[in-house]
Amino acid sequence: MTDQQTTARFSSGPWRRLRSLRVRLIAVFAAVALTTAVSASGIAYWLNRDAVLKRAQDTALNDFRVSLSRNVSNLPLNATCEDLNALASTVASSGLSYDVVVSDPALPNCVASSNSAQYTIASVPAALRTAVGKPRELTESNPYTYHLYWQRQNLDGRPFVIGGTKVVTTGPTAYMFKSLENERADLNTLGWSLAIATLLALIGSALLAQAASATVLRPVKRLGDAARRLGEGHLDTRLEVEGSDELADLARTFNRTAESLHGQVEELSAREAQSRRFVADMSHELRTPLTAMTAVTDILEDEAESLDPMIEPAVRLVVSETRRLSDLVENLMEVTRFDAGTAKLVADEVDIADLIMSCIDGRAWYDAVELDAPRGILAVVDPRRLDVVFANLIGNALKHGGSPVRVRVREEGDTVVVAVSDSGPGIPEDVLPHVFDRFYKADKGRARSEGSGLGLSIAMANAQIHGGSITAANGEVGAVFTLTLPLTPPPPADDTAEESAR
Amino acid sequence: MAGIPVPGRAADGTGAAPGRTVGGDSPLRVSQNEAVPFLLLIEDDDAIRTGLELALTRQGHRVATAASGEDGLRLFKEQRPDLIVLDVMLPGIDGFEVCRRIRRTDQLPIVLLTARSDDIDVVVGLESGADDYVVKPVQPRVLDARIRAVLRRGERESSDSSVYGTVVIDRAAMTVTKDGADLQLTPTELRLLLELSRRPGQALSRQQLLRLVWEHDYLGDSRLVDACVQRLRAKVEDVPSAPTLIRTVRGVGYRLDPPA
Repeated sequence: MTDQQTTARFSSGPWRRLRSLRVRLIAVFAAVALTTAVSASGIAYWLNRDAVLKRAQDTALNDFRVSLSRNVSNLPLNATCEDLNALASTVASSGLSYDVVVSDPALPNCVASSNSAQYTIASVPAALRTAVGKPRELTESNPYTYHLYWQRQNLDGRPFVIGGTKVVTTGPTAYMFKSLENERADLNTLGWSLAIATLLALIGSALLAQAASATVLRPVKRLGDAARRLGEGHLDTRLEVEGSDELADLARTFNRTAESLHGQVEELSAREAQSRRFVADMSHELRTPLTAMTAVTDILEDEAESLDPMIEPAVRLVVSETRRLSDLVENLMEVTRFDAGTAKLVADEVDIADLIMSCIDGRAWYDAVELDAPRGILAVVDPRRLDVVFANLIGNALKHGGSPVRVRVREEGDTVVVAVSDSGPGIPEDVLPHVFDRFYKADKGRARSEGSGLGLSIAMANAQIHGGSITAANGEVGAVFTLTLPLTPPPPADDTAEESAR
Repeated sequence: MAGIPVPGRAADGTGAAPGRTVGGDSPLRVSQNEAVPFLLLIEDDDAIRTGLELALTRQGHRVATAASGEDGLRLFKEQRPDLIVLDVMLPGIDGFEVCRRIRRTDQLPIVLLTARSDDIDVVVGLESGADDYVVKPVQPRVLDARIRAVLRRGERESSDSSVYGTVVIDRAAMTVTKDGADLQLTPTELRLLLELSRRPGQALSRQQLLRLVWEHDYLGDSRLVDACVQRLRAKVEDVPSAPTLIRTVRGVGYRLDPPA
């Protein structure tokens, strides 16, 4: 069986249930019980059957022989049919209820029977007649020419033992019919009793298996539940260890594993929190000198033209890099806020078309962007955050894809879909999965571009806080970034807006 | 990949107030009715204080500076500035507390200078009575635009008055009375009330109010409106928690109900 098949078998419901430990245990117990009970009953039945039948037929045959040998001597030579009939009746009346048929080769048409309505010579099996009529050679160990033979035979559906013998060579042959009906009834009763006993044993064994599986499976189920809780992130899950069997060992191992996992995860998250705090603190600390620098950049910029041509480029560099640095720090702050989960929506109902228009107008992109946005698509969003998203997607398209950049807005169900497509070369397939990663730059040759490397990841985080998302793909021409937003953000974000409104 | 323009400090031009040309062409232009706006800058960091003082002076303001909340409050009482630019993180009494203490007696405009745009800070700042806020590091021209927009709110306009129950709005005198007693409103609160009363019974969205009162661009922070409405209700409503005058229109914004 291939691995795939195994997986398929285990994953499908009915199979799983059929292969469950409980079912297997019950099946094994039942099989063992069944085999034991059936073989024991079978042996008992056959032994009993043998003994009962043997005793019944031995008694009957002995009696028949004794009665026959006593009465056959009274038979006159050249006996008539009446004589034979009388012999049959006499032999049969010995007390044991059997019937006798007598036949004589000298009188082939004579039907001599103690109960001629039921038993005639025709009722005697041919094999028995042959055996009875065949003389044996006299030896030392065999003093008689003729023997008593018997055979069990069903006549009209009723069991009989039929015995037959010849007393003297020229004399008649006598057959005995002894019904075994009583014995059969007894044996049937015995059979039924044994079957019922087997059934009871089977049921008992199933119950026993159920009980046994419960004692084994309850701890296994507890272990399974605990493992699932652990997987769900409840790292403080522990098992109660009972007894000292293998399952208790397993529980102890589980507890130790959970303990060590808990410790490791705690250590990891502590370290992560530490490094996050470091980034947050660092951004804060950078902000103070940056604020002072930014405050005077305007002055420097205004005066740059009147400065020494040697100094002017230096001043302009300081001005532009200060702005870049403050953008970067601002983005870092934003990222740390998302990481710490302190970013909140300040939601307001706005027209998406207006919002995009103002984003494009504000950045003087109007000539480079083809906007296809019907008015009247109202969504409850944080306009500031959404502006960040649009500015990023459009700015990115302009920078890497080139104009014309097309922005298409559509309402689809209870979401609004904004597709930003450019006319550039598109995004290489190997880069596509990483475009939303932090500090990931598509063009490795250009180690330092105008972007901070955080833009798209911040855009994504901003979309996600609205309950939406952004996808990147390659269209027919250029790259397509698609923003999908619900018209109303998920409830928790809405609460803050409502509360502050009151 | 792409750098994102930081809101409130967006790329050149967007943060500027309408009706004012941005740039260095007339750096000494001042508002119409005052000679030169007199600002008090309270900021503990020497570099930022010096930098902002330089920049604001260059934008045509007269600037006094203080390095702590205590100094700032003292200077405020001595020199009576037109507007206060207030840092939030101050040693000793912090910016929020300074704001609250000033609001007890005076209604002059206060612009918060916050080092963190963490939401809770902004909300606390607005609740303590600030009129507007900017996030560090702020470009001087953005700060200047905000300052001028706040100062414009106190300017007089057409002369008529309207009555809303026990509240009387006198546009000529720029006063509001309730049961005959003068209400102490900040210029922002007053402007908000005036804008609402100009369109009685009509709901105005938060974004509309931001443009009308704060002169923000489309991306203004609607919490400014919410905080200001709350403060205004506390002053003009009989029961601020059950407003009958300034009503919230769910999903839209606010509405001033015409006198019954």
